[in-house]
Amino acid sequence: MQALLPLSLAVFHMLLALSDGERHGYALKREILRRTNGKLNLGSGALYGSISRMLDQGLIEESDERPDLHLDDERRRYYRITALGRRVAQAEAVRLQHLVRLAENSLGIPELA
Amino acid sequence: MANPNRFYRFLLKLYPARFREEFAAPLERQFSDEYREAHGTGQRAIFWLRTLADWAVSVPAEMARELRQDVRYAVRVYRRRTLVTTLALSALALAIGATTGVFSVLNAVLFRGLPFRDPARLVEVQGGAVDEDNGRAVFYGWRKGNAYLEDAAAYAAAAGNTEMNLSLDAAGSRRVSVAETSANFFSMLGTEVRFGRAFAPDEDLEAKDAVAVISYGLWQECFGSDPRVLGSTLRLNRAPVTVIGVAPPAFDYPQRTAVWTPTIFHQKRLPKFIAFPGNVIGRVRQELTPTQAGRMYEAEMRRLHPESLKGPDLYRARLIPLRDSQAGPVRQASLVLLGAVVLVLLIACANVAQLLLSRLAERRQELMVRTALGASRARLVQQLTTECWLLTLAATAAGLGVANWAARLVSLAQPATLSMQQYTILDWRVLAFAAGTALLTGLLFGVLPASLIGRMLPAADVVHSQPGVHGTGAGRMRAVLVATQAALAVILVAGSVSMGRSFLKLLGIDLGYRTDHVVTLNVSLIGTSHEGQAAWRQYDRDALERLRAIPGVESAGATSLLPLIVGLSESARFTLGDSHVIASVREAGPDFFRSIGSALVAGREFTAADQQISEQLVIVNEDFARALGGGADLVGRKIWGYRGKDFTVVGIVRTVRQAGPGHGTGPDVYRDIDQQPRPWATFTAKVRGDAERYLAPCRDAVQAVDPQVPVYDVKTLDQRLSETLARPRLYTSAVLFLGVFALLLAVVGTYGVASYSITQRTHEIGVRIAVGASPSGLRGMLLRQSMLPVACGALAGVAGAGALGRYLQHLIAHADATGAWTCAIAAAALAATAALAVWTATGRIVRMDPTAALRAE
Repeated sequence: MQALLPLSLAVFHMLLALSDGERHGYALKREILRRTNGKLNLGSGALYGSISRMLDQGLIEESDERPDLHLDDERRRYYRITALGRRVAQAEAVRLQHLVRLAENSLGIPELA
Repeated sequence: MANPNRFYRFLLKLYPARFREEFAAPLERQFSDEYREAHGTGQRAIFWLRTLADWAVSVPAEMARELRQDVRYAVRVYRRRTLVTTLALSALALAIGATTGVFSVLNAVLFRGLPFRDPARLVEVQGGAVDEDNGRAVFYGWRKGNAYLEDAAAYAAAAGNTEMNLSLDAAGSRRVSVAETSANFFSMLGTEVRFGRAFAPDEDLEAKDAVAVISYGLWQECFGSDPRVLGSTLRLNRAPVTVIGVAPPAFDYPQRTAVWTPTIFHQKRLPKFIAFPGNVIGRVRQELTPTQAGRMYEAEMRRLHPESLKGPDLYRARLIPLRDSQAGPVRQASLVLLGAVVLVLLIACANVAQLLLSRLAERRQELMVRTALGASRARLVQQLTTECWLLTLAATAAGLGVANWAARLVSLAQPATLSMQQYTILDWRVLAFAAGTALLTGLLFGVLPASLIGRMLPAADVVHSQPGVHGTGAGRMRAVLVATQAALAVILVAGSVSMGRSFLKLLGIDLGYRTDHVVTLNVSLIGTSHEGQAAWRQYDRDALERLRAIPGVESAGATSLLPLIVGLSESARFTLGDSHVIASVREAGPDFFRSIGSALVAGREFTAADQQISEQLVIVNEDFARALGGGADLVGRKIWGYRGKDFTVVGIVRTVRQAGPGHGTGPDVYRDIDQQPRPWATFTAKVRGDAERYLAPCRDAVQAVDPQVPVYDVKTLDQRLSETLARPRLYTSAVLFLGVFALLLAVVGTYGVASYSITQRTHEIGVRIAVGASPSGLRGMLLRQSMLPVACGALAGVAGAGALGRYLQHLIAHADATGAWTCAIAAAALAATAALAVWTATGRIVRMDPTAALRAE
């Protein structure tokens, strides 16, 4: 599992967004856009490239269920996070936490305005 | 955008197979969603920009990723089948290497530019234009006044004749090639000297021509690259000339020249034995093609010297593009070789295709599983394609090594005319050729079959395919491949059998002398302080005395023209009574025949005492004696001829093949070199033990007679013979190599097909055994079936072998025609080995358990 760390920002965000429930690719992209205030705008090629890798690594899996029935299109694919994905995202969070603590101890962190 | 979705679908096609398969649909859907949401031209433009940027980044990223996966998989596949992979790899590497190697030679002589300005317009003017008696004024008049040439220059450089003794006041002496030219030689070619200057326009006038341009190599070797060389004095055959310039590096036109002098119209400036007419080279007028100019030249010659248009191509008046005349004999030989290696390349490719096919059969299980798991045809084809490219890439890398070796081998046998034409593979054209060959190889025989297979094995068909169904496209293709291989193998094996046989015959030919344990050395006394017959005789005697004093030298002799040396010999008519004979005349001294192990048939050799005798003595060869109708009784008789003199025959020697084993013999007359000294000689020393160890002591001994007389071409007689044989040896080993290689490939191919056929027909064979067929009967059946395409191919090969045989005959004197026997031997060899291969491959049937075979399907 350690070999998968650190996660790229996009992958980390994707795992976080999927931890709420399964989504299809475009929904995932929009959710990440919302969460980062439009700062992380994944192109569709890059998005599906990451999805493909995460599928290979077993971080996510394809879901057969279609929650958005009224919006559904059989061309859409839905993905959900796996148990491994959840643990890897947690490990990444721990890693970042350590990093932030380290920064706090050495520099101090100013209050956010 | 007329139809954005269609355009996006096109962009999606460029993603690699697996990614496309998995994500094309959601990507397309997402695209149409996002496109709908973008309003107005501005937003849409931004959306397009983002989409294209994302596409441009993610396509290569996904390609690299899938390539990595496919390569890893391919390496695993190849590792599981080490033997077949190694065979295919080496076959391809050797084939690509040999093809590229031969191409590098062709490239050097044909495609790489000559070191001149606009070389395509340079021509050699052959026959009749200017002859040596006309002199400078006539030459320049002709040059100015003709309608087809813009400019022309003249030079005289004949191998073996215009070599001169170069003396440097400090650095001793050496033998160099000199080109005597007209003053405009460098300017006509458009060659700038490295430094100093080329000849001034009037420097070919008698009063001004004591100047020289030296080659870059000579400047480095003899002057230590000292720029103060300009203005220093060289002595060419003792005639002083002043160095005025140094030619650019690697420039040695014509014929590996080291010194150029503007003395063509005044050949007495540099002392020499005989002045030869010069050659004329010209630059075709801008507005004409060389062919048009050639026609105009021939028309002019028809008017002025009609007789010059007759005769063989070698002398007939015509314009020859300089590139063609420089390429010389290498061109045709290399084209033939290229043909042969391309044949082998085809065999190798057929084999790799075969490998791919038979391996696919074995991997059917795996491919079926993968198809069942949802891998598409495109995905399988991509995987197979990667496997094939990987093999081709590895083979090309190894092939470049082979090519380098081949180019070096060829340059030993057929050195280029100019050092500019050095054969090398480190040239962009050669490397591009190798890449092209690799690409074509991979494409035609790897990718094409792979995609065919992709088409032949659509998903449903793979899963439900009936084992043992014949007459499929793949089956037919295999049969054709085997037949092709068999045909090519028969052609090349027949070729190598006939070439090998003729080369062995060449080696076995009795030369009439022995080449082992003999050291040979050349000197030339023209333009040295040794002037006149007495001085030449004294020099020869001094040299021989010093040679004989070397411990281990058993005997030493001198001759004016040694066998295996290409040089000038005179012919003369000799008469005895009513009969007469035309013989070539050369000189030999005491002990010469003993030193080269040539036996006396009758009489005696010359001795030192013969010089005192007033009558002229000769030794003749057996051919001569036979032509005059005499045998041993010719000794002691007088014959008349050669400048109207009488000669007394003192001995008869065995007939010697003067030009080497590939050539004929004729009547020879040897005059006594002591009685008729010549200003040049080749000394021969018969030594005890390894002749090569005697090269240095012998050279030093002769050099010590006069340091100002360079001793050159110091070689053993064996080395000279091997140089003579280098060309036939190269061709023979090349064709032999190709023949053995082709046979091996054909056998591997047949084995592959047979073993594939068993794998594919396991079920059928199991049933047959179960109902009582005997294993050996089944093997016989398989053998018959496998040998059918081999037999068809062999028949076609026999037809092709005749054609190849005629080519080879063209290539080497004394090559045999490919006769019926040779073809029969080749076909039989192929049939036997192929049958053995098939029989081995079918051995597994004997051990086959019918129940297990039936269960396997």
